Amino acid sequence: MHILFPFISFRLCVCFMLILTLAPSSLLAAEPLVVYSGRAERLIKPVLDVFTKETNIPVQLLTGSSTQLVNRLEAEGPHTPADVYLTNDAGTLERAHELRLLKPLQIEGIEQMVPQAFRAADNSWIGLSGRVWIIVYNTSMINPEQITSILDLANPKWKGKLAIPNAGSEYLQAGVSVISAVQGETITEAFLKGIRDNAENSVYGQSSQIVDAVAKGKVGLGLVNHYYIYRYLADHPKAPIAPLLTDQKKGEMGLIMNATGIGVLTHTKRLKEAKSLVQFLISRTGQQMFSERNKEYPIRPTVKADPALPPRKSFRVAQVPLARLAELREPTMLLIERSGLR
Amino acid sequence: MTARSWRQGFFSPLSLFALTIACTLAFPLFYVGYSAFSAKGAVWQRLWSTRIPELLFNTVTLAIGVGATTLIIGVALAWFVTRYDFWGRRVWEWAIVLPLAIPSYVLAYIYTYLLETGGFIEQGWQWMMGAEARIFSPYSFGGAWLVMTLNTFPYIYLLARAALQNVNLSFEEAAQALGATRWQTLTRVSLPLIRPSLVAGLFLVTLYVVSDFGAVSLLRFQTFTYAIYQQMTSRYDYAAASILSLLLVVFAFLFLIAERWFRQRSRFFQTGGHIRMKSPKPCGMLPTLLLTAFMLMVFGAAFGIPVFLLIHWTWAAWNVGEMGSGFLSYIWNSAMLSGTAASIAIVVGTPLAFLASRYPTRFNLLYLQGAYTGYVLPGPVAALALLTLFTQNLPFLYGTALVLILAYLIHFLPAGLQAMESAIQQVNPNIEEAARSLGRHALSSFWQVTFPLVRGGFIVAWILMFLQAMKELPATLLLRPVGFDTLSVRIWLEASEELYQLAAPPALLIILITLPVVLLLTKKNWQTT
Repeated sequence: MHILFPFISFRLCVCFMLILTLAPSSLLAAEPLVVYSGRAERLIKPVLDVFTKETNIPVQLLTGSSTQLVNRLEAEGPHTPADVYLTNDAGTLERAHELRLLKPLQIEGIEQMVPQAFRAADNSWIGLSGRVWIIVYNTSMINPEQITSILDLANPKWKGKLAIPNAGSEYLQAGVSVISAVQGETITEAFLKGIRDNAENSVYGQSSQIVDAVAKGKVGLGLVNHYYIYRYLADHPKAPIAPLLTDQKKGEMGLIMNATGIGVLTHTKRLKEAKSLVQFLISRTGQQMFSERNKEYPIRPTVKADPALPPRKSFRVAQVPLARLAELREPTMLLIERSGLR
Repeated sequence: MTARSWRQGFFSPLSLFALTIACTLAFPLFYVGYSAFSAKGAVWQRLWSTRIPELLFNTVTLAIGVGATTLIIGVALAWFVTRYDFWGRRVWEWAIVLPLAIPSYVLAYIYTYLLETGGFIEQGWQWMMGAEARIFSPYSFGGAWLVMTLNTFPYIYLLARAALQNVNLSFEEAAQALGATRWQTLTRVSLPLIRPSLVAGLFLVTLYVVSDFGAVSLLRFQTFTYAIYQQMTSRYDYAAASILSLLLVVFAFLFLIAERWFRQRSRFFQTGGHIRMKSPKPCGMLPTLLLTAFMLMVFGAAFGIPVFLLIHWTWAAWNVGEMGSGFLSYIWNSAMLSGTAASIAIVVGTPLAFLASRYPTRFNLLYLQGAYTGYVLPGPVAALALLTLFTQNLPFLYGTALVLILAYLIHFLPAGLQAMESAIQQVNPNIEEAARSLGRHALSSFWQVTFPLVRGGFIVAWILMFLQAMKELPATLLLRPVGFDTLSVRIWLEASEELYQLAAPPALLIILITLPVVLLLTKKNWQTT
């Protein structure tokens, strides 16, 4: 044995331990702004890199699921190393707000820049971009006139032709919350059971996979966030896919919109830097970068969205305040579990 | 034992230290149980009616399915390399163990790529079967089954090969002399003789399948570990996750008891003191071709193609400069966290192993058993236990490296303890006693006499724990401190976004680091008795 491992000695192991005790202090020396992010790293990192370049404030990112990060923030309480919480589900942001984890922000002109529905009542979280949860369909397989409402997806005639996200998806949870807030639990449960049966095994973890399955004709219909369609089209301009803008008639609920947002933590020691990150992301440059990179709708109505997207004014969205998503969360989870979605 | 010496043994500093460690290691298990039972009845009710039957069914069928296929593949491979002599046999003998170096989640992400709709396997299938043909989705029982089988069959192979090499030749010769064909010899004589080894292998595989997190999550196949992780990451309280964890632990525990029971019942002894090694039967052209094709197929599916793809992707990522400057720091984080955990494990494991081997009193053995509870704590469960423990009692420590290292300790100390225990048992206590009689006190006799003798075994234990910690995923994901992304976390983050190229370099690196140790396994004597 000694001959086999000449390089690993007991002393080396001891060294490892010493290093660990010394490491944290050296890490803290750089004092970066710590961002807990529930958003995919590739979507947020480039924007943060530009921020660092412009302001000289280094940023450290911890990526995880939105909910898990809120749980973590709650647990860490005043000891949290985090300064900023950024995530792609308004319901989770509101949950952080309810737990008093976020600091109300005073930013000049925020009331004019960001519509009321997309920020907390006391501005403790602020929306950055919006996305609609929408039906994508294969243009050579499906006649779009057969579907006017998202609820039509539960119709048995789409059996084996529908792809849906898995139950852990925060998009699905938020979407279901909005549907049940507008339509009530009974209709929503029937809808969920319907799409469960129609989707059979086409349950995906990533929206990009759903779009891919629709584009390749594996299924005809899918439920995704709108930007996945346009990202796919940017790479495959000839793909036979298009979004379906449902529920637009008078009296119908409208499309389901959710927001990516940001909040500064109550216990931050770097309030100034954290605030400048919020200001950067809400500035015209920041908003432009968000919309260009992610093909989302900038939260500021005056900043133009990507020209490939349907203009924001061309559709109506459901009038459920995003802050309500937090209280709807638990009933929605029960509903999803009860209807057997996985 | 007199009352005085009993008290001395119990209150000696070493014993107290061992007691503290055993309690620390076993505590999370009790904590999970406690939080599960303090959950509201409605939560239990809900889980019974919605999740548990499905999870139980999926977990059990996956374990049975993987067990069956690994048994067939593993025994076939072992039979071929021990009983037939064909070109390249010596190379295949160790090459088919290499799949053990691939973490399950890496293999899973490679197969999601290979089996995707419109991927080249499907195109090939359509070329043969017509344009409407579809292959099975990797996100299904089939996918999980395939990946877990390819990932675990070497365990059975290793055990079956060692057993087949040690089967007394006379039995097989007698069977053949009485007119049995080779097939009859295999099924009626050799297989029953190596049954204890096969059972041990099956238990190993099953325990691995039941506690695996990475593969089932990437393939989104609903087993207990994946459901626990989902509950933890999508809910605001951990009640449901605790209940599922408790069930999984009970399940694994029953399984361990069954294993012990079976092992005690099936002690086989070979008669006839002299065991001759059987010389393998030389093969002609056609059998050699067939055997090579079979070996190549299994090796290619489980190791060759995955590694080829990883090298290809790494090369592509390197060329477009996407490797990222962070890469070195991920290696450093992985090595440091795993190294620290393994080192601490050696330090805390030594008194446990030492006491249990030298002074096997009831208490000392109990401490050792306490430390072994980590075996039945799959990654997400250990993470959950520490999460609830620290968030409710020591919140200021949550989010520090300490919690993560503790999770590694609980999870991997049992594997290391086994190696350490056997190393200490091989040292004759007389040597220590001689040192003591020459005036050394206990600590210096251990340090100067025992330790140099067990160092080899301890190094093996260190490496085993280091490697497992390097590959660990669920606890690292949930407990890592800010700025502590490790190689395994990077693989996970990139692979779950289907960024194959970016996930490849860390995956390749983990495999490269693991390879030498896996090759070491082929040299080890895998006899079970």
